[in-house]
Amino acid sequence: MSSRESILESIKKHTKAKHEMPSLEIINPLTYADNIQAFCDMEKIVGGTAHVLKQGEDIDQVIKTYFPDAKRIGSVLPFIKCATYNPNEVEKVQDLNGTDVAVVQGKIGVAENAAVWVSQELETYKAIYFIAEALVVLVDRNEIKTNMHEAYAWLEKHDYKFGAFISGPSKTADIEQALVFGAHGARQVLVILT
Amino acid sequence: MSTKHSKAAEKFLKNKAQAQWHNETLWMVREKRDKISKEVPEWEQLRHKSQDIKRYTNSHLAELLVQFEENATKNGAIVHWAKDDEEYREIVYKILKNHKVERFIKSKSMLSEECGLNPFLIEKGIDVVESDLGERILQFMDLPPSHIVLPAIHIKREQVGEVFEEKLGTEKGNSDPTYLTHAARKSLRDNFLHAQAAMTGCNFAVASTGDVVVCTNEGNADMGTSCPTLNIAALGLEKIVPNLESLGVFTRLLARSATGQPITTYTSHYRNPRQGGEYHIIIVDNGRSELLADADHVDLLNCLRCGACMNTCPVYRRSGGYSYTYFIPGPIGVNLSMAKDPRKYSDNVSACSLCLSCSQVCPSRIDLGEQIYKWRQKLDSVGKASKEKKVISGGLKFVIERPKLFNFALKCAPIVNVTPRFMKYNGLNDWGKGRELPEFAKESFNTMWKKNKIQGEVKR
Repeated sequence: MSSRESILESIKKHTKAKHEMPSLEIINPLTYADNIQAFCDMEKIVGGTAHVLKQGEDIDQVIKTYFPDAKRIGSVLPFIKCATYNPNEVEKVQDLNGTDVAVVQGKIGVAENAAVWVSQELETYKAIYFIAEALVVLVDRNEIKTNMHEAYAWLEKHDYKFGAFISGPSKTADIEQALVFGAHGARQVLVILT
Repeated sequence: MSTKHSKAAEKFLKNKAQAQWHNETLWMVREKRDKISKEVPEWEQLRHKSQDIKRYTNSHLAELLVQFEENATKNGAIVHWAKDDEEYREIVYKILKNHKVERFIKSKSMLSEECGLNPFLIEKGIDVVESDLGERILQFMDLPPSHIVLPAIHIKREQVGEVFEEKLGTEKGNSDPTYLTHAARKSLRDNFLHAQAAMTGCNFAVASTGDVVVCTNEGNADMGTSCPTLNIAALGLEKIVPNLESLGVFTRLLARSATGQPITTYTSHYRNPRQGGEYHIIIVDNGRSELLADADHVDLLNCLRCGACMNTCPVYRRSGGYSYTYFIPGPIGVNLSMAKDPRKYSDNVSACSLCLSCSQVCPSRIDLGEQIYKWRQKLDSVGKASKEKKVISGGLKFVIERPKLFNFALKCAPIVNVTPRFMKYNGLNDWGKGRELPEFAKESFNTMWKKNKIQGEVKR
């Protein structure tokens, strides 16, 4: 018998009482008067920055204001003019190392935890979401979901190869519970609500 | 009556300042959990849903695992099944050997600790690098984790500074956490860029889509899997969840329970292999399927590995992870160790005051404290009941069953109040170590009742 068969056999032999799948409907969940405001407040708590784009404001200008010293800016988005290179065009993935700022398109945001869903569609290498010193994520302000239930309901309807909810910059507290940003991923995260 | 746990705890408590820091720091994490959970009015609903989904999945594992395998295979992954720790190690080694991997990067996985992966691979000549900061510190110090989420919680910054000075060439005497963290970032970045294969654990495996979901704050799993195109993920078979919808419940509970954050920084969904690469997924049993038949303890398979039960446990906080004889400490560890081998790990069941705080904070509502009580009742049947306690309870039974003797003993009890200390607190009285006897009343309740000294209204 293969291990697969013997494991499945053992599961069947040892399973006793059967339980039904519960309804996942939540009664009176936490909601916000304004999801955009709640998202921005929460982004601050998780260590990132949210910027709501004003009418007539230029995304490139906003990025430059937040990261005036950035020399190497990578983005596959054709409308990001401040990008200095296209991450899909590097010879090998390791060449992405040393990126000051990466600019990517997020699909949805979540008000309760400031997570943004980034999925690998345009980018050849998923490394770009993690390897840059700073990550800029653009999200449509009308796509801020209240909570993870709404976010996963949205995700059920969308395909992806790899995707991640990213909530603020990379962090650790592994040394004496002292919070430090920039463990391995981006040290700074800026979410621009377009 | 001393167990291995109590002896090790005594050692831990010798460093008073460190023991106090450990206790207070974990309590702070517990308080953060309390604060953030109270901000979500539906918190208790979520805990119930989590318990119910886990009970559903753990009673439908065969079909859900097959469904997961089908979908993961459709996505291009290669699915392996491992009966036990040995088979798991062999599968990992075979994959690495086939690809001639020498430089291997890992993100944190308690399953790999359970199965002894690192020492096995290192012996085979593979350079295994742990990428979680806490795990990396411990790897440098050749120590196991002392907590499942905060693995290096027992290590002081000065110790980290010293080991980094030796291994990474950081400045002598600099133990600033930010400085040290960024030194590790720089060093591990090099490992990330040049690893030939990467391995992650798995927080959730989604049956309906074949996704493997990995949650980290550091982004080490994500960085690790970003350069090498050979990726491996391994999961204990209870990590299966039916669909994405159920993740709505679990992702809301996990980080809030673990560290008091609204969600982990990264919640990554791995679906397809990297372009031109291979994605191997190893499903591990290692005794889990047999636990399904144990009605008293099957709910242990509900565990999300958040560590909330450790942070709240008054015994864990004051005795440290190394006091337990199993690689997972705290209330969940006591239970899992007994489920694994009650004869080998019975020393851990005494590490509990039965305050049941763990059962109250568990996001999947596992009755952790109640289960420890049940294990204690079973100690005699596995030949592990304390001999001294058996003599005491035998004697107590003898006295209680004989009312005259019992009343005589009660009358004599106050004599203990005036007995010299050396007769009361000595090597024979384990109970009296670190404890003071209460003063016995001059008269028993029974005598007072008979003399009509008990006043007040009797409510019916």
